[in-house]
Amino acid sequence: MLQIKPILSTLMRNKSGPILLLIQIILSVSIVANASFIISERIDLMSRDSGLAESEVFDFRVYNFNPETDYGAQNGRDMTTLRNLPGVIGATSTSMTPLSGGGWMSVFTLGESEETAKETEGAAIYYGDEQMLKTLGVKLIAGRNFFEEEILQGSPNQANLGIVSQAFAKATWGDEPAVGQVFYAADFGQEPVEIIGVVETLQGAWVNNSSLENSVILNVELAFPFTKFLVRAEEGTLAQLKEAIPAALHRDNRERVVSGFKLISEHRKSAYRNHELMATVLSMMVILLLLITSLGLAGMVMFNIERRTKQIGTRRALGAKKRDIISFFLVENYIICIVGGVIGALVAVQLGQQLMSLYSLPQLELIYPLSTVAGLIVLTTIAVILPARKAARISPAIATRSV
Amino acid sequence: MFFYYLDLAWRSIKKTPFLSLLMVLAISIGIGITITTLNIYQMASINPAGERSSKLFEVRLWSQGIDTWSRLNQQITYQDGFNLRKSPVPVRQTPMFMTGFAVQTDDPEFTPVLENARVTDRDFFGLFSVPFLYGGAWDKQVDSEPAYQVVISEELNKQVFAGENSVGKTLYLNRKPYQIVGVTKTWNPSPKYYDVNNGAFNDAEKIFVPYSLAPTEEYQSWGNNQSWRNEPMDTYAQRLASEAHWNQYWVELDNPEQIRAYEEWLANYIEQQKLLGRFEMPDAKAEIADVAQWLKVNKVVPEDNKILVGLSALFLIVCLVNMLGLLLAKFLKRAPEIGVRRAIGASQTQIFSQHMVEVGLIGFCGGVLGLLWAWGSLSLLSAHFELEDALTQLGYSMWVLAPSIAIIAALLAGIYPAWRICSTNPSVHLKSQ
Repeated sequence: MLQIKPILSTLMRNKSGPILLLIQIILSVSIVANASFIISERIDLMSRDSGLAESEVFDFRVYNFNPETDYGAQNGRDMTTLRNLPGVIGATSTSMTPLSGGGWMSVFTLGESEETAKETEGAAIYYGDEQMLKTLGVKLIAGRNFFEEEILQGSPNQANLGIVSQAFAKATWGDEPAVGQVFYAADFGQEPVEIIGVVETLQGAWVNNSSLENSVILNVELAFPFTKFLVRAEEGTLAQLKEAIPAALHRDNRERVVSGFKLISEHRKSAYRNHELMATVLSMMVILLLLITSLGLAGMVMFNIERRTKQIGTRRALGAKKRDIISFFLVENYIICIVGGVIGALVAVQLGQQLMSLYSLPQLELIYPLSTVAGLIVLTTIAVILPARKAARISPAIATRSV
Repeated sequence: MFFYYLDLAWRSIKKTPFLSLLMVLAISIGIGITITTLNIYQMASINPAGERSSKLFEVRLWSQGIDTWSRLNQQITYQDGFNLRKSPVPVRQTPMFMTGFAVQTDDPEFTPVLENARVTDRDFFGLFSVPFLYGGAWDKQVDSEPAYQVVISEELNKQVFAGENSVGKTLYLNRKPYQIVGVTKTWNPSPKYYDVNNGAFNDAEKIFVPYSLAPTEEYQSWGNNQSWRNEPMDTYAQRLASEAHWNQYWVELDNPEQIRAYEEWLANYIEQQKLLGRFEMPDAKAEIADVAQWLKVNKVVPEDNKILVGLSALFLIVCLVNMLGLLLAKFLKRAPEIGVRRAIGASQTQIFSQHMVEVGLIGFCGGVLGLLWAWGSLSLLSAHFELEDALTQLGYSMWVLAPSIAIIAALLAGIYPAWRICSTNPSVHLKSQ
C-alpha cells in the first residue's frame, strides 16, 4: 500500500536531489540536537532558585573615606537610619551579595583532632546580623536565628556562631543534624564556629561555581572603610530609596560616597547574562535552521511536482486517488527524513563527544537527537503536504495532452 | 560578456522569484548567523597590544607551599612585586594592583565620587603606550622616593575640571591632596589585558598613583586577593608581608637574549628566596607569558564563543547544501532553454560561466542581506544583554568578509549544478520541446 518499491526506484533514478536533502537533514539533526541540549542545560542553570525575595532585596555600598571614622559605630548608626526609612522591611551590613559575582569564599576545618582534621567544601561567607535572614527572605528550617546580643563588631575572625545553607550542611555532615556542630574558620582548633541554624536555600556569589549552594552566615558586623548593605524594601520603592538613602546617610556624616544600588534580580540578570546570551543565540540558530530546512524541503517537493506533472497525470488517469499522490510524496520524503535522521543522530552523538572533549560540556543525552528526529518528521509532513496537495489536484487530462 | 551574463542572471532571477528569494534568504541567514558569532568572537580575541604584544610579558611565580595550589597563580605577592623591581634586565617593568578612592576637589560643593585607581610605577605608561593629553608620568625618582602625584584620565578630567589643562592642580583622594602631573588621552584597551582579574572587558582605571606610596597610604586592594594559607592580615604591614597574591607584574623584554637573561634572573631570585624559607616547592618556578599567551592563559575568549562559531559554520554549510539543492532544481528546470542556446552555438564554457555569474549574484545579494541580519541581531543582542559595545560593534573587516564568504560559498555551491546543466546533451531537451 505504501508503494515503497516504486518510490525507491524513483529516488535511485535521480540521486543528486535526494542526496543533497539527506546531507542537509544529517547536518540539521546533529546541529539542532546539540544546540537544544546546550540550551536546555543553560535553562536548567538559570532556573535554579536563589531562595531570596529577589525583586525586593537590593544592595549598595558606603565608602567612608575619612580614616578617623569609627567604622563600627558608624555602621551601627547607618543601620538604624536605614531601618527607620519608610518602606524598608529589613537591613543589614554584609560582606557580599548573592549572585553578584564578587564576595567571600573559604573552606573550613573539621574534625576530632589535629591529625584527623579535614577541610569542608568551599562556602560563601556572609557576615551580618540578626536581620540577615529577614532581609534576604530566606527560610529557616532548623535551629534558630542570631539574637541581637550575639552580634559582634569589627574583624571577621571573631565569629563564633553560624547559620548554614541546607546544601552545605548536607555536604559537610551528611544526614546528621547540623545544629550544634562546630567547624573552625582557620586551622584546626582555631576560631571555632558553632552552627545554630540551617536555612533552606542560600546561594553564593558565583553562578558558575560548583559550590554555589554552599553558604554560611556568621555573626559579625564588619567594620571596614567599605561597607556593603543589603536592604529589603517593598517592591517598587527602590527608585525612591535610591534618593532617600544617600540623603539620610549624608545627614549623619558627609564624608562618604554612597553608590551602587542594584536589585538582586538585576544581579541575577548580569550573572546569567552569558548563559542567556548563549541560549538565545542557539535558539535563534535552531529556529532558523528548521525554517531553512523546511523551506528547502518544500522547494524540492515543488520542483519534483513540476517535473513529474505528466507522471502524476498518468497515474491519476490510471486510477490513482488524490490520497495516493500525496502519500507518494510523503513516503518519499519520510524515507529520506528517517535515513537522514538516523545518520544525523549518530553524527550528533559524535559531535557531542567532540564538544565534550574540547570544552566543559556534559555528555549529550540521547533524548535530544531522538526528539529532534521526531520533530523533523512532523516538520517534513507539513513541508510536504502543502505542496503535495497541489500535486494531487493535477488533472488526469494533463497526461493525455502532449503525448 | 560579464555584464551580459549579469543581465541574463537578473532576468533568470526575476523569472523564478520565489526560488531565488528562497536561495538569497538561505544564504543570507547563514551569513547573518556566522558573521554575528564571528564578530563577537573576533572582538573578544583582539590582541590590544598590537605589535608590542610579543615584547610585553606578565610574570607569574610558583610561590605557594607544598600541597596547596596546583597551578601558577595569575597574580603575585606584594613582596615579590617589590623585589622584582630590582632586576636590571627588563627595558621597562612595573608591579601594580587595583584600588579606589573618593575623589574631591578644592570646590566644597563638588559631591565626592568613587573611582577605581591603579597603583603602579612610572613605567606603566611606557609599557602600555598610554598617550598623554597634558603633562606626563611622574619622575622615575618618585618610584623610590614617594611623592603625592597622580595621573588622571581625560574622562575624569572632563568630569572634574571641565576638560581644561589640570596639570599642577590638586586632587583630593580620600582627603589627601595629590598633585596632578599628567592627563592621559582616552585609553581603554579591550580586553583590558594588563589586569583581567576583575572582568576582561571592564574599563581602564581613571586614576594612577605611585606604587611607592602603598606602604604609607595603605591602599586597599580592590581586585582579587588569593591566599593559600591562613595568616593574620589585620594590619597593612601584615598584608604587605603576607603570602597573599594580589599584585600583577609586567616587564618589557626586547629580544630573545633579554628573555633568556630575565628567566635566569628569576631562577636566581627564587633560589635566593628559598634560602629565606619562601618558595617551599622543590621545583618552584617562574613563568613569563607575552600578551597573546596571557590572553589564552586567562581564557579571555569564552568557550561559549568558540562553540557558537563552530556551530554557525555548520549552519552555513546547511544553508549551502540547501542552496545547492535549490540551484540544481532551478537550473534543471531551465534545461530546455539551455538546450536551445547550446544548439544555436553557445559553448559549454559560456553556459557554465553564465550560471556561475548568476550564482555569484545570488551570493552577493545574500551577503549584503546577511550583513543586515548580522547588524540587526548584534544590535538586538547588545540592547537586550547590555553587552560591552566593544563586543557588538560590527568590525570593519566584516563589511568585506561577509560578501566575500557569501560569494565564495555560493560559487562553491553553484559549481555542481552549473556543471550538470552545461554538460547535458542539448538534443535530449530539444526533443521534448
